[in-house]
Amino acid sequence: MDVGGTFTDRAALASDGRVVAKKVLSTPADQGEGVVASLDGLGARAAAIVHGTTVVTNLLLERRGARVVLCATEGASDLLELRRQERISLYDLTRHHPAPLVPHERVVAVPERRTARGIERPLAAEGIGETLRAVLALEPQIVVIALLHSYADDTHERTLADALRAARPDLDVVTSAAVLPEIREYERTSTACAEGYARPAVMRYLSRLTERVERAGQPAPAVMTSGGGMRPASAAAQHAASLALSGPAGGVVGAAAVLRALGAVDALTIDIGGTSADAGLILAGEPLVESGGEVAGVPIALPRVLVETVSAGGGSIAWVDDGGALRVGPRSAGARPGPVAFGQGGTEPTVTDAQLVLGRIAARAMSGGVALDAAGASEAIAALARRLGSTAQATAQAIVDIADAEMARALRRVSVERGVDPRGCALVAFGGGGPLHACALAGALAMPEVIVPPFAGVLSAVGLALAPERHDAAMSLLVDCAALDASALAAAVEALASKVQGSARRTLARMRYRGQGHELEIPVHQADDGSSLRNRFAAAHRERYGFGLPQEAELVALRHEAGEVAREAQFARDPAVAGYDAAGHADAGGPADGAVVHGPRAVSLPDATLWVAEGWRASALAIGGWRLTRERT
Amino acid sequence: MSDALALAVWGSALATIAEEMGSVLIRGALSPNIRERRDASCALFDAEGRMVAQAAHIPVHLGALPEAVRAVRAREPRPGDVFLLNSPWAGGSHLPDLTMIEAIADGARVAGFAVVRAHHADVGGMSPGSMPQGATELVQEGLVLPPVRLVREGVMDDELLALVLANVRTPDERRGDLAAQRAACAAGANGWRALMARHGRDAVQVAGTSLLDYAERRAVSRLQGLEGANGTAEDILEGDGVTDAPIPLRVALRVREGALHLDFAGTSPMVAGNVNCPIQVTRAAALFVLRSLLDDDVPTNDGIARPIHITTPDNCCVAARSPAAVAAGNVEMSQRVTDLLFAALADAGVDVPAQGQGTMNNVTFGGAGWTFYETLGGGQGASAAGPGPSAVHVGMSNTRNTPIESLEHAYPIVIERYAIRRGSGGSGKHPGGDGVIRRYRVLEPCMVTLLTERRSRAPLGAHGGGPGASGENLLNGEPLPAKCRRALKPGDVLEIRTPGGGGWG
Repeated sequence: MDVGGTFTDRAALASDGRVVAKKVLSTPADQGEGVVASLDGLGARAAAIVHGTTVVTNLLLERRGARVVLCATEGASDLLELRRQERISLYDLTRHHPAPLVPHERVVAVPERRTARGIERPLAAEGIGETLRAVLALEPQIVVIALLHSYADDTHERTLADALRAARPDLDVVTSAAVLPEIREYERTSTACAEGYARPAVMRYLSRLTERVERAGQPAPAVMTSGGGMRPASAAAQHAASLALSGPAGGVVGAAAVLRALGAVDALTIDIGGTSADAGLILAGEPLVESGGEVAGVPIALPRVLVETVSAGGGSIAWVDDGGALRVGPRSAGARPGPVAFGQGGTEPTVTDAQLVLGRIAARAMSGGVALDAAGASEAIAALARRLGSTAQATAQAIVDIADAEMARALRRVSVERGVDPRGCALVAFGGGGPLHACALAGALAMPEVIVPPFAGVLSAVGLALAPERHDAAMSLLVDCAALDASALAAAVEALASKVQGSARRTLARMRYRGQGHELEIPVHQADDGSSLRNRFAAAHRERYGFGLPQEAELVALRHEAGEVAREAQFARDPAVAGYDAAGHADAGGPADGAVVHGPRAVSLPDATLWVAEGWRASALAIGGWRLTRERT
Repeated sequence: MSDALALAVWGSALATIAEEMGSVLIRGALSPNIRERRDASCALFDAEGRMVAQAAHIPVHLGALPEAVRAVRAREPRPGDVFLLNSPWAGGSHLPDLTMIEAIADGARVAGFAVVRAHHADVGGMSPGSMPQGATELVQEGLVLPPVRLVREGVMDDELLALVLANVRTPDERRGDLAAQRAACAAGANGWRALMARHGRDAVQVAGTSLLDYAERRAVSRLQGLEGANGTAEDILEGDGVTDAPIPLRVALRVREGALHLDFAGTSPMVAGNVNCPIQVTRAAALFVLRSLLDDDVPTNDGIARPIHITTPDNCCVAARSPAAVAAGNVEMSQRVTDLLFAALADAGVDVPAQGQGTMNNVTFGGAGWTFYETLGGGQGASAAGPGPSAVHVGMSNTRNTPIESLEHAYPIVIERYAIRRGSGGSGKHPGGDGVIRRYRVLEPCMVTLLTERRSRAPLGAHGGGPGASGENLLNGEPLPAKCRRALKPGDVLEIRTPGGGGWG
């Protein structure tokens, strides 16, 4: 079940691999209501339920989290305000960063200090006592402890946490080394604070949801993490920060499943909604997972399925700036009032209105049966065209082209910037707007084919149903490869592996040349030693950046993943199954197997329209959905 | 394609390539100053040497890069040549900024230029870190490189590289940073070629022209709104590092027919110490000030500079000539010129924020086998819109801090305190932003060099707001001058308190 701004989508994966999908309206005040409603008509008890949630994202955006007290090393207790010292806008001198999650009045300085060379100021008993008194006087809902150099040695963090728990057994305590045992104090502190800030609300939400779902006769839900794996609700509540990008991750995981079903391997994904577009990357059938990034101005340096978001979607508003240029977004008409064509009071022309004027939207009505107001859309575009001294058609085309350019930029970031040539990838296009923009985006990046998956409008939910359960454990090492023999490496891997359960396992080494500050993740094989790792790293570095260095390579950290093998769906084109119950679509089942459509032509899909551009042909896939390739000329 | 579309699409495509270059540089580089603090800029120039895109990194680099490309173009670059330069008399800013410029090969012709400027932690000269106090000639500040071909038509000149590395204190780190810089240039060249392959080389050229024209239109349109504005301003720099004598600066600003005229008559002649700056740095400051009056979405390119007209006296510290020393000019004079121009705008009735910290607080350490350079944020001035942001770089820099953990891992230094300097922002209806406090304890004998400003003359408030607190430099609790060099012994504690921003109202 995937909760979005407008709809909550459900996809059910039957034991024979078939998929059944359903859409209900979201319930923003309490997401759980919509989730339970989407279970209606499911019939039998499911073996497992997986949930993608925006609870954490919204809580960060709206700054509605817990009252956190932060314990930080004395002398460095202002880190959240100092950030990385860069200003948010290079040229707008009045703008501020979003406020930190913990105001400085609620930061307690801890009399202790570790440096890179060892403990310089031990945490003494009286220091613990003082800290406890100061913390409790601030009436925390939850306490976060983030001390300098705890990635290397978290003794002080643990000592203080134990003392707090002993004094107040009901008080939850988060330590930064437990959340993110990595160097760079600001990012680690920020991530730990996000965990503390979100955890109480996530616990409340998940326990209520579990109760309701169980009352409906279904098993407790698992939750999708930003990293693309799922965790049982009980464990997810202890990893709240890892849910910050739960929603978008599901889409890329779903696209990867479709791709594997087709036997394809490398792809870029584009998920286009009303206000934004999310681009992702799939390599060798797996979503690319990276660490870092910000959510709502809060750095969260945890693994996440790579998703680049740009503010361009169906609802993005077109306007003319004071230099006379046509602009699209970042403002969006959203779901309310929505594009002019929705007839809900929208007056500013949007990308969707432009698509309608260009004749690329086949449907006469939107989801829910509301008739599309084509005349209104035309008039709004024509008004804009008059200001530009252009025609309505040319203006509509320009609006779509500008939105395409923004989206192409996101696609380029996830591919070119990571050394992946888009020309060797398929483009998986989904979400309400994905199939409309697919041909243009593939054209912009010279990609040879487009795949519009079955259930394009609810693919994120399909991804959730297919997500493997996954756990990972990490360890900070910082050793030279030259000093690393095979037995020491094997012992470290074994120690990590014993911390997590699951069948599909792999170990990744984060490596860099000595002196570098950023790492590459390199797979660790059995019987590896320092020199075999170094060679694999050097080759990867050369491939990614085009150069190597004579320096020694360092192993910075090891990460071990364990989990179930990804479930496989069988996307059979069975009209009775594929025709899910979204109102208003006559041809929800799609045309029969093997049908070919030549562009330019619009094809109506459930909850989306596929635009087959001139020069492209679309063939229906046996698993449902379409494959688009260029016409031979 | 319509013009309107061309602008948005091309702006986005070119900016993406420049950002990709920056990403490659930061991920590959060795020195904390580049990889953590991101003291670097990447840009793309067309075949005619016009800057069509710059990644949003460091403003002082923005206006100064075109001179560097001009100097390279004068040397008849061959396709695939990669030039290295730092001479302020040939497009450089100050010597630690090593600029690499690749002539992008498109068959047998040069299609454009990929440019990466990065501040290296040492380029030789009289002080570790190459940001000396007291230098009076450029050659004292480090190895001077006019534009030289480090790579000839794709082939690295290893002898030239060896010459460069033999003249710096930390050759291994420089080798790594230069390799990352070259990889970043290559990423830019590849991106440019891919764009040409897709759209055709003529289309890329036409697009560059219309983007420049567009940025110019946006700048001119803003200036037309200020038609008739007249203002003057004066300020001083707190000594040149050789003497403490104040250095007077003066500007007269006029906006006429969509052009911004700046006349520096009355500004000090060149001084003995190294706070002089070449004209391209002054132009960069003017460009920054004009850019800050425009909306955030205007593409950052040369077009914005077109309506700016600068005149200076023949002998002038903001239009320095050989053999002047300039290391601090790029970082400190550039900040003062920025303050001066904002003050002239305010005098002309334009609504601008109160003064920010007006310095970069340059701190350079050097010991046996290591050099470390960083700059510190401070208070931004408050404005009609609200309080000034605290603990940020203002004006011509936007480098990040060095994480305490990374710093302590790499160097024999402990950061005893890193904190907001509470109450240092000026009072007012909207208070100025607060400065920061950074306290270093050194574990090994080393030299420290400070190049700082606003230690005696505080950042001013606006519309009745109070001034921010002046900065302070302390060694073991005793005050140090704004610009100085000291030998430190293990256990010595240096504390820098950066200025607060001025208040508003």
